[in-house]
Amino acid sequence: MNLPGPIHDFLLVFLGLGLILGGLGVVLLTNPIFSAFSLGLVLVCISLFYILSNSHFVAAAQLLIYVGAINVLILFAVMFMNGSEYYKDFNLWTVGNGLTSLICTSLFVLLITIISNTTWYGIIWTTRANQIIEQDLVSNGQQIGIHLSTDFFLPFEFISIILLVALIGAIATARQ
Amino acid sequence: MMLEYVLGLSAYLFSIGIYGLITSRNMVRALMCLELILNAVNINFVTFSDFFDSRQLKGNIFSIFVISIAAAEAAIGPAIVSSIYRNRKSIRINQLNLLNK
Repeated sequence: MNLPGPIHDFLLVFLGLGLILGGLGVVLLTNPIFSAFSLGLVLVCISLFYILSNSHFVAAAQLLIYVGAINVLILFAVMFMNGSEYYKDFNLWTVGNGLTSLICTSLFVLLITIISNTTWYGIIWTTRANQIIEQDLVSNGQQIGIHLSTDFFLPFEFISIILLVALIGAIATARQ
Repeated sequence: MMLEYVLGLSAYLFSIGIYGLITSRNMVRALMCLELILNAVNINFVTFSDFFDSRQLKGNIFSIFVISIAAAEAAIGPAIVSSIYRNRKSIRINQLNLLNK
């Protein structure tokens, strides 16, 4: 998306802040309903990130499927099975939590070090040089449609079969 | 600069998703953290597709496949959780020993 520079940077920082706070809220809030709403905030922020990185079709699919279907389904699951048992987990900090937070922090630091040590712009210029010949004839949505109907046709059909089997299995599992 | 920023956010989401997936005692919260991990993978796919492959856009195709697999998982997961809840009246994740009797 071709926004002017300061607006683009402000949107990036704003969405990143929402994503960080929402991710903390999913894990650390004690009430599961609050963490489900915080998951919705994270998903909306990710969808706006997709719009900022020129992928409008994936942004629309993210907003429809994740926020409209999966998050509502998780909210229904929380409301169906909301016992009074989450009060017992209040302030229950064990050794395993500390060990896991140590491991996850070290994983995060490792990933950040690898990301900052890689020279991305060399890779960008070598791949851009190969693409400079091809013309921009089709838009992004048309490109996705062409891929889905030609060389990703078999995985597309398999995905539909997987969705059908999963829905039938979910109905058969949740039935009384 | 934007590439490193978005990759760092994705690494943050992935680590906090793994942390919540290990330490959560509620099964529905574990499902939410699984969604966080899948979203971190999706951010990486879309960002790399935008920066390195802006003509072919194959990363977008893969992210659409990941989204549909996540939809199937989100249909199966609460069904299993509700079936366990009917039998046990609890959704604590350490009571998942239904298969040993």
